[in-house]
Amino acid sequence: MGRSLKKGPYVDPKLLRKIEEMNRRGERKVIKTWSRASTIFPQFVGHTIAVHDGRRHVPIYITENMVGHKLGEFAPTRFFRGHVKSEKSSRARR
Amino acid sequence: MAPNKPRGHRRYLRQRREPPVPEGHLAVGRILRPHGLRGEVKVQLHTDFPERFAPGQSLLLGPNLEPVTIAASRPHQGQMLVRFHGIQDRTGAEALQGEWLYIPEEAAQELAEDTYYIHQLLGLEVRTEEGQVLGELVDVIVTGANDVYVVRPAPGINRGRELLIPAIAQVVRSVDIQARVLTVRLMPGLLEESPEPT
Repeated sequence: MGRSLKKGPYVDPKLLRKIEEMNRRGERKVIKTWSRASTIFPQFVGHTIAVHDGRRHVPIYITENMVGHKLGEFAPTRFFRGHVKSEKSSRARR
Repeated sequence: MAPNKPRGHRRYLRQRREPPVPEGHLAVGRILRPHGLRGEVKVQLHTDFPERFAPGQSLLLGPNLEPVTIAASRPHQGQMLVRFHGIQDRTGAEALQGEWLYIPEEAAQELAEDTYYIHQLLGLEVRTEEGQVLGELVDVIVTGANDVYVVRPAPGINRGRELLIPAIAQVVRSVDIQARVLTVRLMPGLLEESPEPT
Protein backbone atom coordinates (compact mmCIF):
# COMPACT_ATOMS: atom_id res chain seq x y z
CA MET A 1 0.00 0.00 0.00
CA GLY A 2 1.28 3.46 -0.86
CA ARG A 3 1.98 6.22 1.61
CA SER A 4 -0.94 8.45 2.61
CA LEU A 5 -1.31 11.50 0.33
CA LYS A 6 -2.13 13.61 3.37
CA LYS A 7 1.42 13.20 4.69
CA GLY A 8 3.14 13.87 1.37
CA PRO A 9 6.40 12.20 0.28
CA TYR A 10 8.89 11.30 2.99
CA VAL A 11 12.15 13.19 3.32
CA ASP A 12 14.53 13.35 6.24
CA PRO A 13 13.77 16.80 7.74
CA LYS A 14 17.44 17.44 8.60
CA LEU A 15 18.51 16.70 5.03
CA LEU A 16 15.83 18.98 3.57
CA ARG A 17 16.81 21.74 6.02
CA LYS A 18 20.48 21.49 5.01
CA ILE A 19 19.66 21.61 1.29
CA GLU A 20 17.34 24.60 1.69
CA GLU A 21 19.97 26.39 3.73
CA MET A 22 22.57 25.78 0.98
CA ASN A 23 20.10 26.94 -1.68
CA ARG A 24 19.57 30.16 0.28
CA ARG A 25 23.33 30.76 0.45
CA GLY A 26 23.94 29.61 -3.14
CA GLU A 27 26.47 27.12 -1.78
CA ARG A 28 27.46 23.74 -3.29
CA LYS A 29 29.03 21.03 -1.17
CA VAL A 30 28.69 17.28 -0.77
CA ILE A 31 26.19 16.30 1.95
CA LYS A 32 26.51 12.89 3.56
CA THR A 33 23.28 11.11 4.41
CA TRP A 34 22.23 7.72 5.73
CA SER A 35 18.62 8.39 4.72
CA ARG A 36 18.19 6.15 1.67
CA ALA A 37 14.40 6.30 2.08
CA SER A 38 14.24 10.06 1.49
CA THR A 39 12.40 11.14 -1.64
CA ILE A 40 14.30 13.43 -4.01
CA PHE A 41 12.63 16.85 -3.96
CA PRO A 42 12.99 19.51 -6.68
CA GLN A 43 15.12 21.55 -4.23
CA PHE A 44 17.80 18.83 -4.43
CA VAL A 45 18.47 19.29 -8.16
CA GLY A 46 22.07 20.35 -8.85
CA HIS A 47 23.37 19.17 -5.46
CA THR A 48 25.68 16.23 -4.88
CA ILE A 49 24.50 13.95 -2.07
CA ALA A 50 26.67 11.16 -0.69
CA VAL A 51 24.24 8.30 0.01
CA HIS A 52 25.26 5.51 2.37
CA ASP A 53 25.37 2.06 0.76
CA GLY A 54 25.91 0.21 4.05
CA ARG A 55 29.70 0.67 3.95
CA ARG A 56 30.57 4.03 2.42
CA HIS A 57 28.92 7.16 1.05
CA VAL A 58 28.40 7.11 -2.72
CA PRO A 59 28.33 10.64 -4.20
CA ILE A 60 25.29 11.11 -6.44
CA TYR A 61 24.69 14.23 -8.52
CA ILE A 62 20.95 14.97 -8.53
CA THR A 63 19.32 15.80 -11.86
CA GLU A 64 15.76 16.77 -12.73
CA ASN A 65 14.69 13.33 -13.91
CA MET A 66 15.56 11.82 -10.50
CA VAL A 67 12.90 13.89 -8.69
CA GLY A 68 10.31 11.63 -7.03
CA HIS A 69 12.67 8.67 -6.72
CA LYS A 70 14.31 7.64 -3.43
CA LEU A 71 17.98 8.38 -2.76
CA GLY A 72 18.67 4.70 -2.07
CA GLU A 73 17.79 3.74 -5.64
CA PHE A 74 21.05 5.32 -6.79
CA ALA A 75 23.48 3.78 -4.30
CA PRO A 76 23.69 0.01 -4.95
CA THR A 77 24.25 -2.10 -1.84
CA ARG A 78 25.37 -5.35 -3.44
CA PHE A 79 28.96 -6.47 -3.63
CA PHE A 80 30.36 -6.29 -7.15
CA ARG A 81 33.45 -8.30 -8.01
CA GLY A 82 34.97 -5.89 -10.49
CA HIS A 83 34.99 -5.41 -14.21
CA VAL A 84 36.22 -7.93 -16.76
CA LYS A 85 37.99 -6.25 -19.70
CA SER A 86 34.88 -5.65 -21.76
CA GLU A 87 33.16 -3.29 -24.18
CA LYS A 88 31.50 -1.37 -21.28
CA SER A 89 32.09 2.36 -21.16
CA SER A 90 31.87 5.18 -18.64
CA ARG A 91 31.14 8.78 -19.41
CA ALA A 92 33.73 10.74 -17.50
CA ARG A 93 31.93 14.08 -17.72
CA ARG A 94 28.28 15.06 -18.16
CA MET B 1 25.62 -34.64 -6.28
CA ALA B 2 29.19 -35.13 -7.55
CA PRO B 3 31.61 -35.69 -4.62
CA ASN B 4 34.00 -32.79 -5.40
CA LYS B 5 31.43 -30.22 -6.45
CA PRO B 6 31.81 -27.11 -4.24
CA ARG B 7 28.64 -26.08 -2.46
CA GLY B 8 27.03 -22.93 -1.19
CA HIS B 9 29.04 -19.73 -1.17
CA ARG B 10 32.19 -21.34 -2.60
CA ARG B 11 30.25 -22.53 -5.61
CA TYR B 12 28.73 -19.07 -6.01
CA LEU B 13 32.19 -17.48 -5.96
CA ARG B 14 33.56 -20.03 -8.44
CA GLN B 15 30.70 -19.40 -10.85
CA ARG B 16 31.28 -15.66 -10.61
CA ARG B 17 35.04 -15.89 -11.11
CA GLU B 18 35.98 -13.75 -14.09
CA PRO B 19 38.21 -15.45 -16.68
CA PRO B 20 41.35 -13.78 -18.00
CA VAL B 21 40.37 -12.07 -21.25
CA PRO B 22 42.70 -13.20 -24.10
CA GLU B 23 45.34 -10.62 -25.01
CA GLY B 24 44.08 -8.08 -27.54
CA HIS B 25 40.42 -8.97 -27.05
CA LEU B 26 37.35 -7.61 -25.22
CA ALA B 27 34.54 -9.59 -23.62
CA VAL B 28 31.07 -8.80 -24.95
CA GLY B 29 28.94 -11.46 -23.28
CA ARG B 30 28.77 -14.59 -21.21
CA ILE B 31 26.61 -17.61 -21.99
CA LEU B 32 24.54 -18.33 -18.91
CA ARG B 33 22.39 -21.34 -19.77
CA PRO B 34 20.43 -23.02 -22.57
CA HIS B 35 16.94 -21.73 -23.22
CA GLY B 36 14.29 -24.02 -24.66
CA LEU B 37 14.89 -27.00 -26.91
CA ARG B 38 15.96 -25.36 -30.17
CA GLY B 39 19.54 -24.49 -29.36
CA GLU B 40 19.02 -21.00 -27.95
CA VAL B 41 21.22 -19.76 -25.10
CA LYS B 42 20.75 -16.91 -22.66
CA VAL B 43 23.62 -14.40 -22.88
CA GLN B 44 24.52 -11.83 -20.21
CA LEU B 45 25.65 -8.67 -22.00
CA HIS B 46 29.07 -7.18 -21.24
CA THR B 47 28.82 -4.52 -23.91
CA ASP B 48 27.05 -1.21 -24.32
CA PHE B 49 26.23 -2.18 -27.91
CA PRO B 50 23.60 -4.96 -28.08
CA GLU B 51 23.72 -4.74 -31.89
CA ARG B 52 26.82 -6.97 -31.55
CA PHE B 53 24.30 -9.81 -31.30
CA ALA B 54 22.39 -9.03 -34.50
CA PRO B 55 21.92 -12.02 -36.87
CA GLY B 56 24.92 -12.48 -39.17
CA GLN B 57 27.44 -10.95 -36.72
CA SER B 58 30.56 -12.98 -35.89
CA LEU B 59 32.01 -13.38 -32.41
CA LEU B 60 34.79 -15.43 -30.85
CA LEU B 61 33.83 -18.16 -28.41
CA GLY B 62 35.74 -19.33 -25.35
CA PRO B 63 39.47 -19.29 -24.56
CA ASN B 64 40.31 -20.84 -27.95
CA LEU B 65 38.59 -17.93 -29.73
CA GLU B 66 36.55 -20.18 -31.95
CA PRO B 67 34.59 -18.09 -34.51
CA VAL B 68 30.80 -18.36 -34.24
CA THR B 69 28.07 -16.65 -36.26
CA ILE B 70 24.77 -15.52 -34.82
CA ALA B 71 21.74 -17.05 -36.53
CA ALA B 72 19.04 -15.32 -34.48
CA SER B 73 18.75 -13.19 -31.35
CA ARG B 74 16.12 -11.39 -29.29
CA PRO B 75 16.13 -9.41 -26.05
CA HIS B 76 14.77 -11.15 -22.98
CA GLN B 77 14.59 -9.78 -19.41
CA GLY B 78 17.55 -7.45 -19.87
CA GLN B 79 19.64 -10.19 -21.48
CA MET B 80 19.73 -11.73 -24.95
CA LEU B 81 18.52 -15.07 -26.24
CA VAL B 82 20.92 -16.07 -29.01
CA ARG B 83 21.07 -18.97 -31.45
CA PHE B 84 24.34 -19.73 -33.22
CA HIS B 85 24.75 -21.25 -36.68
CA GLY B 86 25.26 -25.01 -36.43
CA ILE B 87 23.59 -25.42 -33.03
CA GLN B 88 20.07 -26.75 -33.44
CA ASP B 89 19.25 -28.52 -30.17
CA ARG B 90 19.52 -28.18 -26.42
CA THR B 91 22.41 -30.66 -26.15
CA GLY B 92 24.54 -28.43 -28.38
CA ALA B 93 23.51 -25.38 -26.40
CA GLU B 94 24.36 -27.05 -23.07
CA ALA B 95 27.96 -27.50 -24.23
CA LEU B 96 28.32 -23.70 -24.47
CA GLN B 97 27.20 -22.97 -20.91
CA GLY B 98 29.62 -20.72 -19.00
CA GLU B 99 31.64 -19.74 -22.09
CA TRP B 100 32.55 -16.13 -22.82
CA LEU B 101 32.14 -14.32 -26.12
CA TYR B 102 34.89 -11.97 -27.29
CA ILE B 103 35.71 -9.53 -30.07
CA PRO B 104 39.15 -8.32 -31.20
CA GLU B 105 40.07 -5.09 -29.41
CA GLU B 106 40.40 -3.18 -32.71
CA ALA B 107 36.75 -4.04 -33.51
CA ALA B 108 35.53 -2.08 -30.46
CA GLN B 109 33.05 0.67 -31.20
CA GLU B 110 34.24 4.25 -31.44
CA LEU B 111 33.03 6.17 -28.37
CA ALA B 112 31.61 9.67 -28.04
CA GLU B 113 33.68 12.54 -26.62
CA ASP B 114 34.43 12.27 -22.87
CA THR B 115 33.41 8.59 -22.89
CA TYR B 116 35.99 5.89 -22.23
CA TYR B 117 36.01 2.14 -21.84
CA ILE B 118 36.13 1.17 -18.17
CA HIS B 119 39.28 -0.92 -18.70
CA GLN B 120 41.00 2.21 -20.09
CA LEU B 121 40.15 4.15 -16.92
CA LEU B 122 41.29 1.54 -14.42
CA GLY B 123 44.78 2.26 -13.16
CA LEU B 124 44.77 5.98 -14.02
CA GLU B 125 46.58 8.25 -11.60
CA VAL B 126 44.12 10.73 -10.05
CA ARG B 127 45.45 14.25 -9.48
CA THR B 128 43.98 17.58 -8.46
CA GLU B 129 44.30 20.59 -10.75
CA GLU B 130 47.09 21.78 -8.45
CA GLY B 131 49.03 18.58 -9.18
CA GLN B 132 48.49 16.80 -5.85
CA VAL B 133 48.36 13.02 -6.37
CA LEU B 134 45.21 11.59 -4.76
CA GLY B 135 45.68 7.94 -5.70
CA GLU B 136 44.88 5.34 -8.33
CA LEU B 137 41.50 4.66 -9.94
CA VAL B 138 40.70 1.04 -9.07
CA ASP B 139 36.99 0.60 -9.80
CA VAL B 140 33.95 2.19 -11.39
CA ILE B 141 30.56 1.96 -9.65
CA VAL B 142 27.59 2.16 -12.02
CA THR B 143 24.82 3.76 -9.96
CA GLY B 144 21.99 4.51 -12.36
CA ALA B 145 22.78 8.22 -11.96
CA ASN B 146 26.40 9.34 -12.50
CA ASP B 147 29.19 6.75 -12.48
CA VAL B 148 31.41 6.87 -9.40
CA TYR B 149 35.18 6.37 -9.56
CA VAL B 150 36.75 4.49 -6.66
CA VAL B 151 40.25 5.76 -5.89
CA ARG B 152 42.77 3.87 -3.78
CA PRO B 153 44.29 6.77 -1.83
CA ALA B 154 47.94 7.75 -1.91
CA PRO B 155 49.60 7.83 1.54
CA GLY B 156 48.18 10.61 3.71
CA ILE B 157 45.09 11.19 1.53
CA ASN B 158 41.55 10.90 2.93
CA ARG B 159 42.79 9.30 6.17
CA GLY B 160 43.73 6.19 4.20
CA ARG B 161 40.12 5.50 3.18
CA GLU B 162 39.07 4.92 -0.40
CA LEU B 163 37.95 8.07 -2.14
CA LEU B 164 34.74 8.11 -4.18
CA ILE B 165 34.62 10.64 -7.00
CA PRO B 166 31.41 11.37 -8.95
CA ALA B 167 32.01 11.29 -12.72
CA ILE B 168 30.47 14.72 -13.37
CA ALA B 169 31.86 17.71 -15.23
CA GLN B 170 32.25 19.85 -12.08
CA VAL B 171 34.62 17.27 -10.59
CA VAL B 172 36.30 15.38 -13.46
CA ARG B 173 38.15 18.13 -15.34
CA SER B 174 40.15 16.06 -17.82
CA VAL B 175 41.08 12.51 -18.72
CA ASP B 176 44.37 11.79 -20.46
CA ILE B 177 44.46 8.11 -21.40
CA GLN B 178 47.91 8.37 -23.05
CA ALA B 179 49.51 10.02 -20.00
CA ARG B 180 47.39 7.79 -17.66
CA VAL B 181 46.19 10.81 -15.64
CA LEU B 182 42.73 11.86 -14.52
CA THR B 183 42.50 15.44 -13.26
CA VAL B 184 39.82 16.38 -10.75
CA ARG B 185 38.58 19.45 -8.90
CA LEU B 186 37.42 18.24 -5.50
CA MET B 187 34.15 19.65 -4.21
CA PRO B 188 33.99 20.60 -0.53
CA GLY B 189 32.92 17.54 1.44
CA LEU B 190 34.39 14.89 -0.87
CA LEU B 191 37.45 14.37 1.31
CA GLU B 192 37.24 13.35 4.96
CA GLU B 193 37.48 16.63 6.82
CA SER B 194 38.99 15.66 10.13
CA PRO B 195 42.80 15.43 10.30
CA GLU B 196 44.59 12.14 9.91
CA PRO B 197 44.70 10.27 13.24
CA THR B 198 48.15 10.11 14.76
